[in-house]
Amino acid sequence: MRIAAFVLLLAAAIPFAQAADWKMDPPASRLEFVASFEKTAAPGVFKDFDARIRFDAGKPEGGQIDVTIRTASADMSSADINKAIGGPEWFDFARYPQAAFHAAEIRRVDGNRFVARGTLSLKGVQQAVEVPFVWTDAADAATMEGELTLQRAAFGIGTGEWTATNVIGADVKIRFRLKLRKAG
Amino acid sequence: MLRNDTDSWGTPAKFFHWVMAALILAQIALGLVAGNWPLSPLKLTLFVWHKSLGMLILALAALRIGWRLGNLAPALPDGTAPWERRAAQASHFLLYALMISLPLSGWVVNSAANVPFQIFWAIPLPAIVAPDKATADLAALAHLSLFILLSAVLVAHIGAALRHHFVKRNDVLARMLPGLGR
Repeated sequence: MRIAAFVLLLAAAIPFAQAADWKMDPPASRLEFVASFEKTAAPGVFKDFDARIRFDAGKPEGGQIDVTIRTASADMSSADINKAIGGPEWFDFARYPQAAFHAAEIRRVDGNRFVARGTLSLKGVQQAVEVPFVWTDAADAATMEGELTLQRAAFGIGTGEWTATNVIGADVKIRFRLKLRKAG
Repeated sequence: MLRNDTDSWGTPAKFFHWVMAALILAQIALGLVAGNWPLSPLKLTLFVWHKSLGMLILALAALRIGWRLGNLAPALPDGTAPWERRAAQASHFLLYALMISLPLSGWVVNSAANVPFQIFWAIPLPAIVAPDKATADLAALAHLSLFILLSAVLVAHIGAALRHHFVKRNDVLARMLPGLGR
């Protein structure tokens, strides 16, 4: 009788206790950045990135986000620009092939809007970053999307005379839309 | 005097001639400097100027050709040899063709290279071809070849004008000068 009650309690508790693990569906997911060039929007994407997420919208505090990005997969749809941004003054693909975002502090703003506070590692710089996102899930699939603005100077993206912001703007907008499937 | 007549150019024709002469010379200088400048913010800014002037020249060239077709051109002096008349006609035709084809080929380069660009930092320029490295390289070669042709025709044009003035001592050069129309 006591055991039965315990099992029942356990069964009821499982949906709350178990923060789900999510895997990203790469072809359906996008990670974009929008720089500005001579006051004109200059959009790009990272083609190669991955996200592993542990998240339960009912219990965001237990969540965790790990994103890795292959910097050399940056594509600004121009052969000339793609070549230039790999250089040491920009992303420096050779020395910093990978960027990452790790967050283990997630809180609800309201409804399905959340904020993940974590660390962005980019070009050897680690900086605390708050990433707002909207989470929608249904059964085994979820979508996580959001937008934030970073200062390229904080990460040494554009050094030397490129630190001037009149030609290449200071702000870079990041937009992401991740399609996730429940793992395991 | 607005319209051209058989022996003089009207004010609009002179305006087009000298404004575009100044723009084209500035454009040549900008193109050479921007093309050879090491990659830097200044290079990108020089290119915005070059591309913006190019689009201005293209618009002015279209207006100018329209004006030229709707007007007669002053006659060449009596005694101009048939070969000189043919050379004048051919070089003027080439100059008009180059005023259109040089900016157009530059526009193709910009579109194919897919570099974000707004004319004078204000007006977005639509792409006329899809982004493609091979197209960009080909159009850049065409742009350079047309520039070399333009340089040759300009030398002939300026040389001929000076020859009319100083050797043949006629008014072909003088009648294009502002305020010196007959």
